[in-house]
Parts: sequence; C-alpha cells; structure tokens
Amino acid sequence: MTDSDLGEHSDQAQSWEAQMRSLLEEGGYDIDLGIEMARDAQRLVAGELSEQEFHERYHAAVTEEFGTDERPVATDEPSASFVELLTGECSGGEDPSRREVVKALGVAGGALGLGGMAVADQQRTSTQAAADGPDEPDIQYGMVVDLERCDGCLQCVTACADENQTSNGANWMYVLAYLDEHTEQENFLVRPCQHCSNAPCEKVCPVRARHTREQDGIVLTDYDACIGCRYCQVACPYGVNYFQWGDPEVSEEELDPNHIWDARGMRVDSRPPKGVMGKCTFCPTRQDGLQGEDKVGTVACMDACDAAGMRAIHFGDLNNPESRPRRYLRERAAEELDDDTDLDMDADWATSTTRWRKLSAFRLLEDLGTEPNVIYLGNQPGERADQQEGPVPYDLIGRVDRRKDVLDERTVGITGGDD
Amino acid sequence: MHEDIDHRVLLRPIETTSRRYFVLLAVVLLAILSFVIAYAYQLQHGLIVTGLADWGSGGGATWGLYIGAFIWWVGIAHGGIILSAAVRLLGMERYKPVARIAELLTIGALSMAGLMIVVHLGRPDRFVTNIILAYPETVHTSPLVWDVTVITLYFVLTATYLGLTLRYDIVRLRDELPDRFDPLYRLLTVGYRESEDPVVERMVWWLALGIIILAPLLLHGGVIPWLFALLPSMPGWFSAVQGPQFLTIALTSAIGSVLVISLAFRRAYDWGALIGDDVFRGLGLWLGLFALLFLWLQLQQVITGVFAPPIDVDAATSAKLSSPIYWLAIVMIVTALGYLTAQAIEPRYFTIPRTVFAGVLVVSATLIEKTFFVIEGFLHPRFDMYAAVPGSYIPSFIELSAILGTLAMVTLFFMVIAKVIPVVELHAIEDDASVADWEVEP
Repeated sequence: MTDSDLGEHSDQAQSWEAQMRSLLEEGGYDIDLGIEMARDAQRLVAGELSEQEFHERYHAAVTEEFGTDERPVATDEPSASFVELLTGECSGGEDPSRREVVKALGVAGGALGLGGMAVADQQRTSTQAAADGPDEPDIQYGMVVDLERCDGCLQCVTACADENQTSNGANWMYVLAYLDEHTEQENFLVRPCQHCSNAPCEKVCPVRARHTREQDGIVLTDYDACIGCRYCQVACPYGVNYFQWGDPEVSEEELDPNHIWDARGMRVDSRPPKGVMGKCTFCPTRQDGLQGEDKVGTVACMDACDAAGMRAIHFGDLNNPESRPRRYLRERAAEELDDDTDLDMDADWATSTTRWRKLSAFRLLEDLGTEPNVIYLGNQPGERADQQEGPVPYDLIGRVDRRKDVLDERTVGITGGDD
Repeated sequence: MHEDIDHRVLLRPIETTSRRYFVLLAVVLLAILSFVIAYAYQLQHGLIVTGLADWGSGGGATWGLYIGAFIWWVGIAHGGIILSAAVRLLGMERYKPVARIAELLTIGALSMAGLMIVVHLGRPDRFVTNIILAYPETVHTSPLVWDVTVITLYFVLTATYLGLTLRYDIVRLRDELPDRFDPLYRLLTVGYRESEDPVVERMVWWLALGIIILAPLLLHGGVIPWLFALLPSMPGWFSAVQGPQFLTIALTSAIGSVLVISLAFRRAYDWGALIGDDVFRGLGLWLGLFALLFLWLQLQQVITGVFAPPIDVDAATSAKLSSPIYWLAIVMIVTALGYLTAQAIEPRYFTIPRTVFAGVLVVSATLIEKTFFVIEGFLHPRFDMYAAVPGSYIPSFIELSAILGTLAMVTLFFMVIAKVIPVVELHAIEDDASVADWEVEP
C-alpha cells in the first residue's frame, strides 16, 4: 500500500501535506519544489506522467537547488551516455570516429535489451495505474490480530472448521501456544492464511488456480482449476495449505450452495473436493453478501472470537481508515501512546522506531518479502520458538492437531507409528 | 574401428528371441500390472493412500518418492545427450555402438518422468488442459511450468534426432527387417533420398548442439533444481549450488544407466565385439569424474551449512548430517568412486561387471539422495514452530510400486523397440568409405 492509496481521503491528504512540509523544513531546501515534486511523483505512480517527463521537468530546478541531479534524463544521445557509464569513458574531447563506434554499440545494445526493459517498465506502470487508480475501489481485506488478547481457547479454530466443513486435521485457522527462549511466558500465535500481497503460492501455481481476487485482495483457490500438484503448499512459508488427500468428510450435497461459489461464480469456498488444495479463504461468500448483508465484512473466526469475549481478531479493509482493524490499531495506539494518530500503514515494520515498534506490531516472516495482510500485535515468536500444548488441547474441541495421524489410517504400507 | 563386423550382427535382436526373453517379459508385465493396480487404487481413493501428508501442523511431507523419482528419471534421460554429444560433437567414435541405446533411454526415461508428474497429481484429468489454458501467464512465474516446457522441448528434440538418424539405417537394412512393421518403416523413411544423408548429418549435429545447451544447462542444471532452490521457505533447498548439484546427479545416473543397458544387450545378443570393453572402460572413467563432482558439490553444501550457518540452515544441515539415509547415499557414491579410481590408476582392476555394478550403485544412490533431498526440505522448513515439525514420511507400497512399474516400463520399451529397429546404428560398424557400398533404391 502506498500513500497515494490513502490520498483519496482528502482530510488525510491535507494532514499529509502539513506533515511533509514540516519534514521538508527540517531539511533546509526549497519546500515548494519538494511539495510540487511529491505531487508529480504521485501522478507518476498513477501513470499520468512518464518517468522521463518527470525527470526532465525538474532537472534544471534540482540541479540549481542541490548542485547535482543524478537521476537519468533523456539526451540526444542516450546510447552513448549508457556506454560511457559502462566503460567509464568521458564523452568530452573524443575523436569523432570513436564516438561513432560507441554510439553504434550503444544503439545495438539498446535495441537488443534495453528497449525491452523500457517497454516492460512502461507496462508495469500502466498496470499499476489500473490497479491503484482512483477509480478502483482497491479494498484489501486483512486482519489485525491482537495476540495479547488471545487466551488459546480455540473457538476460532472450531468456528472455521464448522463454517467450512473441513476434514479433521485441516485446521485452516490454527492457534499455536508456544514457548520462546529465555522466557517462561506462554505465548499464542493465531495463524490463518496470511493472504499475502506478494503470495509465493500464487506465483508458483501452474494453472492459476491460486489467485488474488481483484476486488478485495483475498487469496483464493479455484477448486475447478486446481490440478492438485501441491506446489502452493510447498512454496508457502507459513504452512497454511491443507490438501484434500481423500474424500471429504462432508459430501457435496451437504454443503450450503451459497457457501461454495463466490459472486464471480468461481468455486472457491468451503472445504475443497478430493484431490485439490484448500486453505483459509477469508470467507469470500460472506464478503460477497451471499450469506446475508449482515455477514459482509465478517469472518467466522472473528465472530467466534468476539462471541467468546476475546476481541483478538479484527478483520476488514486495511486500506480504509474507518475499517475495524484500522480503528482497532488507533484504539491500541491511543492506549499505548496517548496519541490517536493513525499509523502509517507503509512504514517499516520491524526496522524503524516508528509507533509500530512501540505497539509491538509485526507481520510473520516479513523478511521473505511476501507482504502478508495479517498484522499481529504482541510478542513476535523468536527463531527458536517451540509449540507447546495449549490450555485447550485440540482433541478437546474434537479436532485432530497432527493431521498425519488421520491420513496414516488410509496409507497402504508402513506409516511409522503414532509418534 | 568395427568395420570387420557383419551388419547382420546388428539384426540379432530382431531375428532371434530366446526363452529368457519371454521370462523377462512375464516378470516385467507383472511389475507393470502391480503398478497399474496400485495407481487405480490411488485414483479411486485419492492420494491419502500414499505416505504423503501436509507439512506444518499436519506433520508430513507434501512431496515424496513420486517427485524424487521424477527428478531421477529426468536425470537418467540425460544419457542420450551425453552420448550423442560425445559422438556427434566431440567425435568420440568409440561410443557410437551405444549412442542410439542412450537416445532411446532418453525417450523412455523422459516419458517416465512425465508419468511420475501425472501420478503425483490430485487431479490428473485436468493436467494437460489447465496447464495449456493458463500457460501464457504462468510461464512467467511458475517453475513447474518451466519444467513442463523444457521437458517437452527436450522430448521433441530427441525424438526428432532419433527419427532423423534412423532413416539411414532403415533404408539400408529394409530388406532384412520384418515385413510386419512395413507401415512403420515406410513412415520413418518417407521421402528418403540418398542425397539427404549429408544434410541430415548436419541437421543432427545442430540438433545435438541445441540439446546439449538445453538439457544439462536448462533442464537438470536449471529448471528441475529451480523447483526447489528458488524457495526461501525451505532452507534445505534454497541455494545457488542446487543447479550444478542436480546436474551431477543427471550425469552420473545417466552414465550408470547406459552402462547397465549396454551390458544387458551385450550379454543377451553376444555383442562382445560390437560393444567392446573400451566402451565400458571409458564410460566408467566419465562416471568416476562426475561422481567426484557430485561429492565435491555435496562438500560445498555441508561446509556452508556447518561453519557459521543461520539458525534455519543449521537445523536443516544438522538433520541431514545425522540421517543414515543421507550417509547411505554418500557411501554408495564413495564406494563406486573408489573402485572407478582404482581401475583408472591400475587397469588390471577393470572388469565389466564391476564397472556396471559401480553404475548400479551410483544410479541407486542418486534416487535415494534426491528423494531424501525433497523430503528433507519439508521436515526442516524456515517456519518450524509447529510441534509436528519435523514431520515424517515413509514411502507407501503404492509409491514404491511406481518405482518398480516405471523400471519395468522402460525395460519393456527396450525389449519391444529392439524387435522393431536396430538399436545399434549402422555407422558403428562402417567407416565413411563403405557408405557408398550400400545399394539404395531410389
């Protein structure tokens, strides 16, 4: 998410400008130039301005202000300057024949490779513009999970299994009670699918069954397209995928038809049929209003968590400052920081000393670049964290924890015992 | 080299069929039948009948022996290109008698690799259509689609190569080939003219060059390891050395397999003069060299994994080093290398059975090592908080029957093809001058 996404909320935009002004004043350079460039930078991102136009527009002003401008600008001989960069040769005072050769080489190189790069770059900008443009609703469903409020009651796990009729052991919503090094404190990690914006599972899918819904950023599996290669489960670093190894425990007829196909007519909800992959869906049929208007913007696990009085799970549109997760973040920020300023969703999560840090906010395995859309508040599990049996064991809610125990019963051969 | 051998020698597999042939045929068919029954059972009940399970809270391994066998068969399929390259591009004439056997092995092994992928799917019925439908987009991002692409290309190139080189032989031997396959022979030699020989010769040279760039560098040294090596979720896989490491698997298992099949044909058809000792001696040396490379790259991984590893790499490496299965594979390769080195230094240690046994050791070790590699990844993921991690995996009888079944299918493929076309090319027993001696009908 970028600042420009939030820009459509005009009050926000104004406070943003004031914030930028105060920042720029500290820098001691031309404020108006900075603000103007920032505006045009947003237009650049939105695709209204080409990168070249942008650089050319400010080349003179930037050189005057800072004495140098190292950003690339188009010249009459772009190819020659490229070769100079490579060879380290200065262009002044060369003999003409050498210039010709350099130019020819540069043109050839440009025609071969750089031309393609430029086209690809432009394409990316235009698709980005289409996705991020002001016309698009650009909802990004996600969660804020307050781990400090979780007591490991597993109500969310039960609710998810009931809602989706998953086979035993396929715990789409999963809660780990764990101990970390150097501490006796029992912690919890609530682990739904992270619905990553840069989802590795989606990247590797050979048939595009695993996909991100354009309308709201939910990552789903098209049960009618999946070939069951399980590469998504292999690529996902979180282990949220559960394959339908055998016949589902709940038959096709017993499923609620309003809980199978989403509004696009794609079969993405409830437990998967035999031979295809399933995982936490963020309840797309609820979001599409197929289960009643009152369930739009809710998920089964959150409902159960609220009903249990825990309020640990907060699902909603992370792009909307008025959504439940964003409001909850403000609420927590106010508690912790005596400040109800909304948090900058784009800030560095773990590395900066922003308010995020003080809120103990983190995303899981963020260093892998998956851009998860589940935000946790509370203790981040360390590298040597180890799952323990929680206050409520899985068998108490009638669910199997280690799914292999169930699957082994049908294996033809030696299974290696119950261990 | 073998100019003194009569061309009728090449026709022995077509003209004679022993009782042992039928016994072997029965055994092979039984093995295939067991695989068919096992697979039918799997189709009916789902992959739940295998030893596979979800990694993570599920406590299993997502992929197992099927994928291990897939990697293994693709590796073996490199035999064709190694021999063709040696003969066509490097002019190593001594390997001509086994070049076509190796090319046929490529066709058979690649088919088995493809079959393994299909068998490992939850919905094989959708495989072809859905891959093609999504291809324009998925080819940009999915290593699995890259695999399908390169394997298909490799298959087409090898089949073309084989088809082109067969024409020369079939035309010249047609009178002595059985008439019941006449339609096939006519199809294979359609439009043949003697003037095409030098053209075809150039074409197969270029094909061989194309395949040698494609197969080792892009297939086993590329897209096959990239299925794993590009995923940071599994520290046991995520490494730049997997490309070269997989390539050594391909080269060793390919040469090992060619050794086995060459000996089988030599014994069965009394081809001692045709497939001479020097073929085995030479292939043994190459096998030793590639086995050494394999061990050297294993060393690279172990050293990186134990000196100052990050926590996740540390866990993956220690688990690997404490596994008897890993050491079994390594000891098998070291043993083979030890013998092959000894025979290189002291020729009197050389015997064909010993060399072929070294080949069998290496081929078995590569299947063990690669299956272990696949499973190890799931057992020691980056996100290892789950109590059920490390999980466990033991191949089921269903999966084991697939190994048996595919081995039997490749054997059957050779038994059948040897009855239809000459598996040793005519060029192996003639020098260039003698080509003109053949009378070819226009």
